Amino acid sequence: MFEFLFKYPEAVFSRGTFVLLGGWPIWLLGLAILAAAAGLGWVVWQRAGSGRVAGARSAAVWVLQTLLASVLLLMLWHPALSVATLRPQQNIVAVVVDDSSSMAQADEAGGTTRRAAAVNVLNSGLINDLKGKFQVRLYRLGDHLDRVDKLEQLNSSIPATHIGDALKQVVADAASLPIGAVVLVSDGADNSGGVDLETVSEIRRQRIPIHTIGFGKEKAERDVEISDVQVPARALPDSRLSAIVSFHQNGYAGQKAKLTVKEGSKIVAQQIVTLKKDGQEQSETLLFNAGTAGVKSVETSIDPLPGEESAKNNLVTRLINVDARKPRILYFEGEPRWEFKFLRRAVEDDRTIDLVTILRTTQNKIYRQGIANPDELKDGFPTKVEDLFGFDGLIIGSVDAPYLTPGQQTLIKDFADRRGGGILFLGGKDALSDGGWKQSADVELLPTILPDRKDTFIRVGATVELTAAGGDSLITRLVEDPAKNKERWKALPYLMNFQDVGQAKPGAVVLVDAKPMTGGRVPMLVTQNFGRGRTAIFATGGSWRWRMLQPLTDKSHEMFYQQLLRWLVSDTPRKVTTSTPKQLVSDDSHVSLRAEVRDRTYLPASDAKTEAHILGPDGIAEAVDMRPDPIEAGVYTADWTTPKPGSYLVEVVANRGGEELGRDTMTIRREDGVAENFHTQQNRELLEKLSSETGGRYYTPQDASKLGKDISYSDAGITVRETRDLWDMPIVFLLLLSLRAGEWLLRRKWGVI
Amino acid sequence: MRLRSLLWLFLGAIAGWGVLRAQKPFKAYQGVEYENFVLPEDWQKPAEWTRARLIYPSFFSVHGIRDGFHRWTIDYPRSDRHLLQGMRRLTRIDTRSVEQSVEPDGDDEIYNWPSMYAVEVGYWNLSDQQAQQLREFLLRGGFLMVDDFHGTVEWNNFVAGMTKIFPDRNIVDIDNKDPIFHVVYDLDDRFQVPGMQYVFTRSLHEYDGFQAKWRGVYDDKGRVMVAICHNMDLGDAWENSDDPRYPEKFASLAYRIAVNYWTYDLTH
Repeated sequence: MFEFLFKYPEAVFSRGTFVLLGGWPIWLLGLAILAAAAGLGWVVWQRAGSGRVAGARSAAVWVLQTLLASVLLLMLWHPALSVATLRPQQNIVAVVVDDSSSMAQADEAGGTTRRAAAVNVLNSGLINDLKGKFQVRLYRLGDHLDRVDKLEQLNSSIPATHIGDALKQVVADAASLPIGAVVLVSDGADNSGGVDLETVSEIRRQRIPIHTIGFGKEKAERDVEISDVQVPARALPDSRLSAIVSFHQNGYAGQKAKLTVKEGSKIVAQQIVTLKKDGQEQSETLLFNAGTAGVKSVETSIDPLPGEESAKNNLVTRLINVDARKPRILYFEGEPRWEFKFLRRAVEDDRTIDLVTILRTTQNKIYRQGIANPDELKDGFPTKVEDLFGFDGLIIGSVDAPYLTPGQQTLIKDFADRRGGGILFLGGKDALSDGGWKQSADVELLPTILPDRKDTFIRVGATVELTAAGGDSLITRLVEDPAKNKERWKALPYLMNFQDVGQAKPGAVVLVDAKPMTGGRVPMLVTQNFGRGRTAIFATGGSWRWRMLQPLTDKSHEMFYQQLLRWLVSDTPRKVTTSTPKQLVSDDSHVSLRAEVRDRTYLPASDAKTEAHILGPDGIAEAVDMRPDPIEAGVYTADWTTPKPGSYLVEVVANRGGEELGRDTMTIRREDGVAENFHTQQNRELLEKLSSETGGRYYTPQDASKLGKDISYSDAGITVRETRDLWDMPIVFLLLLSLRAGEWLLRRKWGVI
Repeated sequence: MRLRSLLWLFLGAIAGWGVLRAQKPFKAYQGVEYENFVLPEDWQKPAEWTRARLIYPSFFSVHGIRDGFHRWTIDYPRSDRHLLQGMRRLTRIDTRSVEQSVEPDGDDEIYNWPSMYAVEVGYWNLSDQQAQQLREFLLRGGFLMVDDFHGTVEWNNFVAGMTKIFPDRNIVDIDNKDPIFHVVYDLDDRFQVPGMQYVFTRSLHEYDGFQAKWRGVYDDKGRVMVAICHNMDLGDAWENSDDPRYPEKFASLAYRIAVNYWTYDLTH
């Protein structure tokens, strides 16, 4: 219809430029239209008089006549479209056909596969159409781009689709070949993270239009798919971890499904969930124990539901490195008190934490416990960077700030900021505001705005209650079920005392509120990130009652402190910290390695020699040099290609001047044949976006036959600029006729004719 | 609606009563030796710590002498007040000026005071229920120091009570290297601390308790749960530390023992 009315395909209008071929200047056209409007206005006004065509009716007649005159005048100026077209037989059209395993899905009409439907569309005249005007190059698309001679060579066997990489190769070819357009035949199920902006910009710069033909259902009728599973990359042994499972479904709204987390063959967490509306993303959290040290392969799955189209997208695997390290926490306490005793007892069974304490027993004496050797901390709280930064976490109890020198106070700040350690401040008679911390160099460390007075430690009983954030936090999870956990906190014995710590700073999170018996509500447990580390306040010295006032079998107090202290240190970095965006790569061989290297005082070490030693399956052993990042000081990066599927142990070692600064290990794994099980529906959004960004167009298989005509209009390759007359478009005559007929009908209605 | 409001009021009242009941206020008892003992000026000032005194039922007769009074109040409260002053002065423990007398009577009060002292335990006569509650108290993290009992007869009676509390744990001598003797002061050289009878008789011992015994019951983690001071009278030493007739060296050691024991309690 469009082409019938407008004479040319849509592509001519979208890619062409409007021009007036008449020799007269354009201002004259404007003047002529104005003159015609004025003349017609005068005539209509003269004739109006007291007749039936007066007032608004005469204005309507004037508008219609003026429009008619304007269109006629415009035609005299010879309107046309200037459009670049590909020179016949001098350009190449790249036809890129997706040959990944997702194209083997038989979800096209009549139960045919996507590949069969694509071949059918191409063979039903489209390829011949293109061959009539251009040289056609056929490519098969998978995790890379291959040239093929015949469509029969396609077999949907490639285990991954990397559209971005394929287009990069086409763009590279276009530098030496006259590629005028690209036809991408695909389901859009890319599993390399999409097409990056850089590639799209390069295609736009070369003006190559990408026309896409989409295959496959856009929405599954009956399927559940796990979109993502978030687990920490690293953990401490026996830590409580969370797996945040995101998934969506179609066809099973309101039904129950079973979520399972397994480590090997052992089920570590299970939960029954009710499925939300079709297509709606749903997120559930499952808690499990990290277990002993080592690399853990954690499988998260949803049990297949009856009649599900594909069960392969119900399972996702993640890797967790459970570190064998035992973080050291220094607890500095200013007075012997029950909180000190019971905190020590709470974590003594935690095999993952090494608690070292310094206690001021008398005015002039300290008592040390948990020290590594008799000389450690013999002079009290550390005064040197190396002594304090050897710890991963720090607890400051009822200690008045002036007891510490300004240098020690700065050291504490640097401990969180530069070292990346965690600092916990406890309440007490000499703690926080009452201990002068408001006036100390460490005031900015604190997650709350401390009151400016010294009567904030109040020996009044207070019950506790979880906030919304506390309900979600692993620190405060005493019972698996969130609702029961909330009730459990309410039922805890009251605290002996609490400290008013003021309001939480922006960015800080209040996990627990205290409800004093005197009324009101104040923050009790507040956390925040600070610099590379994190800080928290637990505003009481009276939680020991959770131990003494509950049966021996109740472990609430121990669990709380163990979880709080693990949070404090689990993310404390070492001198060398290795990471990668994806520990588990599916059907991809590229691995990006990143290492953050610090010296003995935890300052960025930009002049270190940093090397990654990689051990892989079948005796693969390789050393990869890591390059300093030009922007981030102390950061080193490297790209590496995994030769084959399997697990790889990566150990990064940093040396400077013959001295080893540190080393860190992590495990990565490459799995093939997995990626294509996910996102199997047609990703029309990606295909449409790709077309619109590059000046191409998205086609369904039904309207793909139009592609043959549209494709000629391109700025890429070898082109010739053509002009297409517009005056003889049927729409123009139809418009003129409509204007005249409109006036006639109006006059008839008014009884003038 | 009215019924629900009444129900909430009732529940609130129960909760409030429970909370108030959970920790009892200080109460002065009539002592065997002291009546209407003057309270310190700051007796109402709350503090982080105080030492509790165990109220226990005692045998009417142990040595064949019919006492007929409450043994748990021996030296009370003068001894307690002196000790607490000493703890304030010698340590950084934020100490209340008055003790707390508690009874293992089945409610939760005993658990509010994890640092417990019992005197004349050679006379204690614990019921099964009291023994069970003391066991629970100690296993949850409470600490008990017993003192002022002498000789074989009182020892045997103490052991009978202790066996009720811990049928499966042994009483052992505390090694000199144990942190309890070093946490603040190094107390390798200890000697028998006599009671006030020394002032009148120059006798260090009572009955056949000729040698001071530093014993204890340990928990599974190797910490002293019950510190047993047999054949000595630290309570008398604290009580009479302001009496010029009582030798300073005994009082001094008694205080140092107390400082170490209670600091040990708060650190282990």
